[in-house]
Amino acid sequence: MAGAIIENMSTKKLCIVGGILLAFQVIAFLVGGLIAPSPTSTVSYLANKCVDVRKNPKNKWHLPWGNNPCEKIRNFDEAVSRQIEANDIVFSIHAPHPPNEMSPWFQFMLYILQVDVAFKLDNQIKNNAEITFNVSLGYRDDMVSEWQGMAYAEETRKLKCVFNYPKTKDNEGSYYECDVLPFMEIGTVAHKFYLINIRLPVHEKKGINVGIGDIRDIRLVGIHQNGGFTKVWFAMKTFLTPSIFIIMVWYWRRITMMTRAPVLLEKVIFALGISMTFINIPVEWFSIGFDWTWMLLFGDIRQGIFYAMLLSFWIIFCGEHMMDQNERNHFSSYWKQVGPIVVGSFCLFVFDMCERGVQLKNPFYSIWTTDVGTELAMAFIIVAGICLCLYFLFLCFMVFQVFRNISGKQSSLPAMSKARRLHYEGLIFRFKFLMLITLACAAMTVIFFIISQVTEGHWKWGGYTVELNSAFFTGIYGMWNLYVFALMFLYAPSHKNYGEDQSNGDLGVSSGEELQLTTTITHVDGPTEVYKLARKEAQE
Amino acid sequence: MSPRYFLRSLLLLILAAFSANASNWLYLAKLSSVGSISDEETCEKLKGLIQRQVQMCKRNLEVMDSVRRGAQLAIEECQFQFRNRRWNCSTLDSLPVFGKVVTQGTREAAFVYAISSAGVAFAVTRACSSGELDKCGCDRTVHGVSPQGFQWSGCSDNIAYGVAFSQSFVDVRERSKGASSSRALMNLHNNEAGRKAILNNMRVECKCHGVSGSCEVKTCWKAMPPFRKVGNVLKEKFDGATEVEQKKIGSTKVLVPKNSQFKPHTDEDLVYLDSSPDFCDHDLKNGVLGTSGRHCNKTSKAIDGCELMCCGRGFHTDEVEVVERCSCKFHWCCFVKCKQCHRVVEMHTCR
Repeated sequence: MAGAIIENMSTKKLCIVGGILLAFQVIAFLVGGLIAPSPTSTVSYLANKCVDVRKNPKNKWHLPWGNNPCEKIRNFDEAVSRQIEANDIVFSIHAPHPPNEMSPWFQFMLYILQVDVAFKLDNQIKNNAEITFNVSLGYRDDMVSEWQGMAYAEETRKLKCVFNYPKTKDNEGSYYECDVLPFMEIGTVAHKFYLINIRLPVHEKKGINVGIGDIRDIRLVGIHQNGGFTKVWFAMKTFLTPSIFIIMVWYWRRITMMTRAPVLLEKVIFALGISMTFINIPVEWFSIGFDWTWMLLFGDIRQGIFYAMLLSFWIIFCGEHMMDQNERNHFSSYWKQVGPIVVGSFCLFVFDMCERGVQLKNPFYSIWTTDVGTELAMAFIIVAGICLCLYFLFLCFMVFQVFRNISGKQSSLPAMSKARRLHYEGLIFRFKFLMLITLACAAMTVIFFIISQVTEGHWKWGGYTVELNSAFFTGIYGMWNLYVFALMFLYAPSHKNYGEDQSNGDLGVSSGEELQLTTTITHVDGPTEVYKLARKEAQE
Repeated sequence: MSPRYFLRSLLLLILAAFSANASNWLYLAKLSSVGSISDEETCEKLKGLIQRQVQMCKRNLEVMDSVRRGAQLAIEECQFQFRNRRWNCSTLDSLPVFGKVVTQGTREAAFVYAISSAGVAFAVTRACSSGELDKCGCDRTVHGVSPQGFQWSGCSDNIAYGVAFSQSFVDVRERSKGASSSRALMNLHNNEAGRKAILNNMRVECKCHGVSGSCEVKTCWKAMPPFRKVGNVLKEKFDGATEVEQKKIGSTKVLVPKNSQFKPHTDEDLVYLDSSPDFCDHDLKNGVLGTSGRHCNKTSKAIDGCELMCCGRGFHTDEVEVVERCSCKFHWCCFVKCKQCHRVVEMHTCR
């Protein structure tokens, strides 16, 4: 990486570039905060209790209202008096509520289920109670046509409830506090109306749905991405893709224009650019027209690749600026540090395939519902966590080493020859600069993440409502794009020294450090000086 | 509640046609024999509503069933919360629905107003969630909804609509009087306190759904508390209610605690103007049933104990054989198989 642009740039120009990037950063935040609505919204549904009077398999859908609605009951006291059995009751939910329609812009639908269980002294929830339901999901695209079946499943969930009052006769009728249950996840919203029918069949001999207490209501909460947010997000991606792509092409052209082969660090930066572009490419546009349920999984994979690439980049960047005499410049010399990243990402990938991958087949599936599944999922996550910790230990150690070497070099800087001094000063500046912006970006991410977790979704500010969560997403996404952009721009080889590079390459000194002599040095001292320098170092 | 009881109250409703009481709309609770409120004519026939409420009924026909359910809910909850007290929230066979206790500015009135406005907000919100109502969270006339609609930014919480509807329907009576009399101020305050009892006890629940289900993306929503919880909160507020009087500060009239040493009440507290009677004796004129004939607890020293409940008149004890269900087998709904157990218990009844 001979003479990066950043070293040859005057402070004034550097400030201008920094200013422009900062302006874009601010725009990214503002787009999310002011134009976009909050990223997701929720719709709460209270299941209507239908009575399956027809017992007719042909007419299997129970619609809560509209034309041809089911026979509804208000509460189960009514069912007792009419001698309706538990197996005849169908909980019916129509999404969304009238008069709204679903839209492909919602990107995904995620439903969670809550059961309202009333306390009764002689009908309490048993320990380790499990609730089993038969669910069918149907869709249609207008108000009159037949419902089309989309998925059917029998699912079991653990019912984790606590009763916060003393268990006395007086408190009968108070509700248990139950954990929310994951219910359903669909990676695309291709239809306008959805109908969910849930049955809780009782089978005493098999012990199905026995000891689950006195159920009063079933509530669902539907979460989907807001159409407005999706549009802003797509617009942003569509804008960012060409920007990163162009700088990537420019960067690679610069590298290929040099006569020497690209060094490891340059390749890694390029790979980072590719993974960023891979995230950026707005393939989601297709989700508007096509029913591609795997989009959610695909998005996860893309993000995973980028994170893995970013983490690897930091390690390699530190390693290449180590300023000791070790031969690196090769991916294999980093296996110890990159290993954990690979293992960790692989674990998360397997976990994601187990959860979202299976959901492609069965939208009601969740790995967390069974004991084995929970243990497996925890195992994957813990291994990934350990890998991440390991990685950060390595990274911190490497940064520490670099700083130690820097302080060592800095004390001996005045005694050095001009060429060596400038060379090391360049290295130190380059490292410190990246260190600074990386830390700034990471800190921003963490701070905004915490803010978005702690505070309510939006701030009222005068007449404006600032959507914090949206600002967080667009801002952070824009920030890492700018980070990659700046990296490719500032760490591209400077155009001032195409010719001289050849001499560097001819030296056969492949260590990154030796190649990183700046143009100024070569201009002043000429190749012979460099040659001597290299020989000297080799002897050391 | 027996059909006979309904019939009787229905007759009374007709009698009550011209009685003016802000909580008269609670009569809706007694109308379940009428069937659903499905056309504008029914609105005219509903007794206990003032003219502006009738207009609201006509404009929001679909919501009226929920209003009625809210009223029923409120009365049931009131009777549950006060089951062990001298005044047990019994509805009367005379006017108005809870007797004079509620027409005066008593603590009990404060509770009734609060629980009934909460009941309407609760029932309307529930109806929203089950898809019975068209407007709800996406109604643009309700504040807090972004103008772009469901597809751009989703709808606001249904509770916003429930509370707004309760405000416009329940409060309309006091508002139409111009909110100047101390009673109107008290009612408005207590109505609002009832709705606050729901709003401030909403449970926030969250779900993480980022990459691999991480908390990178987290969505939270508010879930309405069970109505029992609302009742419990309001009962606590009833026990700590503040006695207030009207004062003029500047050009506006406000309610301030009678005892200036007390902390000023907050939005969530209940306030009352007049002290309550002791509810001991049968007093039809004021609609007090008295505690004679009520069951009491011999061992308790609290208000449900025979000492206090019977107001010192003493009680008599009977041995009664009760038939109870025992060793039952339940399904989650509807199915119960029990044995019958006989048990002899001592029953104490106030003289």
